[in-house]
Amino acid sequence: MNPIKKIFDLLEHDFSESGNFAKLAPLFDATKTFFFLPSPKTRLGPFIRDHLDLKRYMSVVLLSLMPVLFFGMYNTGFQSGLARGESLDFWSAFLSGAWVVMPIIIVSYAVGFFWEILFAAIRRHPISEGFLVTGMLFPLTLPPTIPLWQVALGISFGVVIGKEIFGGTGRNILNPALTARAFVFFSYPVTMSGNIWVAGADAVDGITGATALAVTADGGTSLTATLADQGFSLPHLFFGLVPGSIGETSALCCLIGAAILILTRIANFRIILGGIAGLILTALLAWLLPGTYGTWADAGPLFHLCAGGFLFGITFMATDPVSAPGTNPGRWIFGFLIGFLTVVLRVANPAFAEGVMLAILFMNVFAPLLDHLIMKQRISKRIPNV
Amino acid sequence: MEKITPSKGFKLKLAGMPDTSIIRLPRPATVGVSALDIPHIRPKLLVKEKEAVKTGTPLFHDKRDPDIRYVSPGTGTVKQIRFGPRRSLIEVVIALDSMDDFVEFDPVSPAGLGSLSDQDLIDRLKQGGVWQTLRQLPARDTADSSTAPPLIIVCLNGNDLFSPHPGRVLQDRVKQFEFGLAILRRFSDRIIVAARKSSMNRLGPVSERITHQVADIYPAWDPGAILYHIKTKAEENQAWYIHAEGLIRMARFLETGRYPVETMVTVTKGHDKKPHMITRLGSPVHLLAGNFPAGSMITTGQLNGRKVDPDTHLGFFETTLNILPDAPEDEMFGFLRPGLNKPTVSKTFLSCLVNREVQLDGTLHGEERACINCGYCETICPVDLMPSFIMKALHGDDIEEALQLGLLDCCRCGLCSFTCPSKIELTQILSLGMDTHHKDKQG
Repeated sequence: MNPIKKIFDLLEHDFSESGNFAKLAPLFDATKTFFFLPSPKTRLGPFIRDHLDLKRYMSVVLLSLMPVLFFGMYNTGFQSGLARGESLDFWSAFLSGAWVVMPIIIVSYAVGFFWEILFAAIRRHPISEGFLVTGMLFPLTLPPTIPLWQVALGISFGVVIGKEIFGGTGRNILNPALTARAFVFFSYPVTMSGNIWVAGADAVDGITGATALAVTADGGTSLTATLADQGFSLPHLFFGLVPGSIGETSALCCLIGAAILILTRIANFRIILGGIAGLILTALLAWLLPGTYGTWADAGPLFHLCAGGFLFGITFMATDPVSAPGTNPGRWIFGFLIGFLTVVLRVANPAFAEGVMLAILFMNVFAPLLDHLIMKQRISKRIPNV
Repeated sequence: MEKITPSKGFKLKLAGMPDTSIIRLPRPATVGVSALDIPHIRPKLLVKEKEAVKTGTPLFHDKRDPDIRYVSPGTGTVKQIRFGPRRSLIEVVIALDSMDDFVEFDPVSPAGLGSLSDQDLIDRLKQGGVWQTLRQLPARDTADSSTAPPLIIVCLNGNDLFSPHPGRVLQDRVKQFEFGLAILRRFSDRIIVAARKSSMNRLGPVSERITHQVADIYPAWDPGAILYHIKTKAEENQAWYIHAEGLIRMARFLETGRYPVETMVTVTKGHDKKPHMITRLGSPVHLLAGNFPAGSMITTGQLNGRKVDPDTHLGFFETTLNILPDAPEDEMFGFLRPGLNKPTVSKTFLSCLVNREVQLDGTLHGEERACINCGYCETICPVDLMPSFIMKALHGDDIEEALQLGLLDCCRCGLCSFTCPSKIELTQILSLGMDTHHKDKQG
C-alpha cells in the first residue's frame, strides 16, 4: 500500500465527526483529495460519468498561467537588474525575480486558504478548488514592490467580501481576484501607482519605473515615438520585457495561456475574441478622433492590445465562468464591452492609467442582466411546453 | 423519409455493442414484475403470497387508474412480494410451474380490428396488461386513453446505446408490426416511426415504414428528443410514444388472446460482444447477466436507466443490462495525469485526441462541488436546455421560471449529469422538478 495513503488512513479518524479535529475536516479532505483523486460510486443515474472534475478544470487554468508566472519572475529580476545597471544572465535574473515573487504568491495562498478553510469548516462543505486559481491570479496583478501585508489584506478582502459573503464559490458576482486588486488599488494608491513597478530600483536615481500606459507625449512628438523612446516599442510590449505588474507584461505569454484555455475549452473563446474585437474597434475609433495627438487615443489598436494588462485580464479574469455570463451571445457582448470600456477608460479618464480591471468588474455586475435578456429572447423562440 | 441530425449529444464511442446473433435462454425458475421501472405508479396489490396465478393474471394495478394492470408473465405461485422502504412495492416474484396456463381472451385478427369500437379496443388492451406500453410525453406517464394524442411516435430503438437491434426485435414479426401500426392508427392519424441510422441496414420490409431516420448520437432516438426536433406547435407536446417491443406485445396479445411473455434483451459488459437473448418477460437479472466480477454495478441503461440488484427481476419496459466494472483504487495525483485512458467529452485529457472505443466505470471521478456556470451541460443537452439555469430556478422554488426555460422538454437522457465537472446531479434535480409538476397537475 502506498505509504502516503497509510498516513491518511491513520489520521482519518481524528478528522471524522467523532474525532478531535472534526472542525478541520475540510482541510484534511482537501489535502487527502489533493494526493488521491476520489472517485465514489455513482448513486444516481447516469451511472457513468465524465473524467473531468473541478480539480482537473482548475489545474488546466493553473497550467495556462505557468507561462505568465515564469516570465513574470524572469522579468521582475531582469527589470530590477536593469534598474541597478547590472546585466543579469537568464538564471540569475529568474532567481532574483523568483525571490521577489514567491513570497507574494505564498502569502496570497496562505492567507486565502486560511479564509477558505475557516468558511468551509463553519459551513461544513468541502473546500472548492476555485481558490487555487484566485490565489495565483491576484499576485500576478500586483507590482513586485507590493508590501506583503497588503497582499494579505487584499486577498482577505477578495475572498471574504468578494466571494464568501455571497455564499462562496459559484455565487459571487465579482471576480474575487480582481475584487482583491481593486481593494488594494483604491486603498493604497501610493503602492499601486507611480514609480513602483520595478523591484529594488530605489537604490539608483533617475530610473523611472512607470508603465507604458502612464506615458504621454508632450509637444510635437507622437505617442508611439515617445513610447519607443522610453523603451516601450511594440516588440518590447509584445514580448514583455517592460516594467509592470508581475504577470501582465508579456502579451505573448498571455496569448499562450489563452491558446491553452481555448484549446482545452476551459475558457470560452467568445469572451476572449469578443474582448479583443471590442478593444481593436474602439481603439481604431479613438485613433480616428481629431485632436488627440500625443495621447493614448492616438496609440492605435496594437499598442492598446499589447500595453497594460488587457490581454491578461481578458484571458484569465474575464473568462472566470462564475462572474461571466452563461449564455453564448451574452459572452460575446460581455467580452466586447470589456474591450470597449478598457479603451474608453484609458483614453478618457486621466485618473486611471489602466482601465481593464474596472472594465471587467463593471461588466461582471452586468453579466446577470445580459443573461436575463438573452434568456428572455431564447424563451420566446422555444415552443412552450407548459 | 426525413432525417433528424441533432448537433448536440453524446459523442464518445463506448465499448459494449452487442453481437447481432440470437440465443434463447433457458426457462427461468422465477419471474418477477417490478414496480421500479413504472413511472409515477401508485401500485395496489391484487394477489397475496402463495396464491396461484396464471399467465395474464393481474398482480397489481395503478391506484390512479385501476384499469391499468400489470399481469403475471408466467404461471405458478406468488413466491414473494418484495417491499422497499416505507412499504413501497419493489416486485412481485412468481415461482414458475413447468407448464403455462393462460388467461384467455378472444383473439382479434387484423381484419377484425375494424369491428371493435375504440372503447372496446382500449378496454381489451388494458385488461390484457399491454395498454401501458403506450406512454405519454412529457411526463412519460401511461397514455391517457380519454384524450386523443396529436401524434404517436414509434421508437424502434430502446433507451440505451446498446438496446436490442430493432432488426432483431422485429425479425419474423413484420405482420405483428403492421398490425401494431393499424392499432395505433385507431388513436391518431399521425404516426411517426423513427429508427437510428445504424439500425436501418437490417430492418427488411419494416424500413419502408420508417418516417424519420435519426442520427446515431445518443439520445437522438429518444421519443422526447425526436419530438423536440419535429414539433411545430405547443399541442404536440402531449404526444404518445411506444417502443418496438411494446408494439409487438400489443399486436401479439390481440392476435392470440394471450399475454405474450417473450422479450429480447441485450447485456453489455466491457469489450465483450454478447449475443441478443430471447427470454421470458421479467427474467431474473442474474440469469441474464451471467458471471460478473464482484463489485460490478448493473444498470438498465448506463445513462438513463436504473441500478438493479442481481437478485431482482428485469422490469416491464427494460430490455438492456449494462455491467459496469468496479472502480480502481483512488489514484495518486489523478488530476495531474495526462489521462490517455480517461475518456471525456471535454478537451482536458489527452484521451480526447484518440478516437477509440472506451469503457467507463460506475464512479463519479471527482466530488460534488458548487456550480461554476461553466456551461458544459448546455453544450451537450440534446434539447437545447440550459440545465444549470433550470437547476437554479428549481432550487429557488421558481417552477414557473423552470417551465419557461423548457424544463418539460427534458428527455432525462442523463447527459448533463454525465458531463458536469462539479458532479452535480442535474438529471435528478430536473427529473424531480418534472415529477413534482406532474403530480401537482394530477392533483
